[in-house]
Amino acid sequence: MAILKVEHLNKAFGGLQATNDVNYEMQTGELSGIIGPNGAGKSTFFNLLTGYYKVDSGRISFQGKDITNWSPHRISRLGIARAFQVSNIYPALTAYENIRQAILAQQKRTLNFFTPAHRLAKKETQELLEVTGLSQHADKIAGTLSQGDKKCLELAIALGSKPELLFLDEPTAGMSGEETHETMNLVKRLNQEMDLTILFTEHDMSVVFGYAKRLTVLHQGSIIAEGTPEEVRKNETAQKVYLGEEA
Amino acid sequence: MIRYGWLGLIFIATLILPLVIGEYWIHVAVEILILGLFAVSFNMIFGYMGQLSFGHAAYFGAGAYATGLLMVKTSVPLPICLAVSMITAGGLALVIGYFCVRLTGIYFAILTMAFGQMLYYIIFQWYSFTGGDDGLQGIVPPDWIIQVTAYYYFTLFIVTGALIVMWVISESPFGYTMRAIRDNADRTRFIGINVRKYMLINFVVAGMFAGLAGGLLGPFNRSIAPDLCNWHQSGVPVFMTVIGGPLGFLGPVIGSVIYTFLFAFVTGFTEYWPLTIGLVIIFVVLYMPGGVLGLVKTKFKTIGAKESMDAEA
Repeated sequence: MAILKVEHLNKAFGGLQATNDVNYEMQTGELSGIIGPNGAGKSTFFNLLTGYYKVDSGRISFQGKDITNWSPHRISRLGIARAFQVSNIYPALTAYENIRQAILAQQKRTLNFFTPAHRLAKKETQELLEVTGLSQHADKIAGTLSQGDKKCLELAIALGSKPELLFLDEPTAGMSGEETHETMNLVKRLNQEMDLTILFTEHDMSVVFGYAKRLTVLHQGSIIAEGTPEEVRKNETAQKVYLGEEA
Repeated sequence: MIRYGWLGLIFIATLILPLVIGEYWIHVAVEILILGLFAVSFNMIFGYMGQLSFGHAAYFGAGAYATGLLMVKTSVPLPICLAVSMITAGGLALVIGYFCVRLTGIYFAILTMAFGQMLYYIIFQWYSFTGGDDGLQGIVPPDWIIQVTAYYYFTLFIVTGALIVMWVISESPFGYTMRAIRDNADRTRFIGINVRKYMLINFVVAGMFAGLAGGLLGPFNRSIAPDLCNWHQSGVPVFMTVIGGPLGFLGPVIGSVIYTFLFAFVTGFTEYWPLTIGLVIIFVVLYMPGGVLGLVKTKFKTIGAKESMDAEA
């Protein structure tokens, strides 16, 4: 069974059709990418999948369960997490507390009023700090971290929810070349070792071709090409609307 | 650990205090405690949840009237009256909060204030039950705490206990979830938390402690008046929190000490209290935006930084 199935999804903002009759399917264990120029509707697509926007029409199902128009917190509890394009963290809390918060929520311990939070989820938080390479920043206030570290923290928060399906919205936006490869290698490891199904968006072509096994090209809200990176590279329509711009 | 040592010293000082100050100042000290508890409960919403409740007096007043009415009309023991105050204020906060947590920012502030004013007018007009604008008189505390010193210790006991409970809550996973909602409510939804539900729970808990503070006020003053629910009264914890500092747990208590002491002192020789507090607020907002606690923290940080620099050199 597909882990994610999207059927005839539509969303318009005023006159702008941001998502236009999109059909999409993911199998468990996939690492796939969605590419498209800025404004192609990538972020809107994620916002629909995670319940941040209400759909105009269409159906979204996760592991066979209809989750269309569920609220974000219910979708999250099912095992879908997301990391945002612009890092979306808790700026006044430490990096450690940021990650712990996601873990406590996942462990359904946030209605605990009487145990000091610093005694809980220690091991899990340390693990995630290590996995994302943030150990030396654990006690820093998150708002003071570098852009690259904030993106890592963003990813760590998403992982704290122990998702089965992870959406990464431009995970390497604003990162240096080296950081980009570190992050994408981490994404690859998460996919292979932790058996996490991952869908990410990207506008940097080199990143996409190096890592995704399957690519979908989005243009003006519609899917115009789909296949392996090689197939997409050869696809004429895709070349015209997207690859052409780069050349 | 040093920090807890300081708290111990302060607590011992509060125990000795009535032995060294006159009766007038013991009265002031009781008021500091009651209003301090009120302000800390307000700060559960303001400092920890990041929303300005401008109708917090509603819960303070509801608590005051619950205990006041029970003591005037029945012979229920005071501790039970106080428990009823908490439940009444919490129930009221549940109903009002249900609507208010749908909004944030200025709209949250306005709606909490509107509901607060509604309660004020109900109490103000309902002569047969609440005594209307005459208020309630003859709320006499039980014999064992009829002396002001005894009432001081009773209040100290209850307020300290309530502060400890609120402190524990603020450090719990629930308390951190409040900080998370304050910092980034959207992010919090995406880690699986029903933000509105949590805000409502926090609103109710804050209302309950405001109700407890209100309950302590009637037997102390021997009377209560509808003004306790009015928006002026909602401004009091706002001022205290701004003065003391919203980002530390005890900030509002420090604010209560300064505000209440200043009030008692200044009104002794002038009628220009609003002018005085206005100047204090202007000074705090312009020159120490984190309040007294914020100032102390930055000072300590600077000292710490200097030390480490010396160590390196």
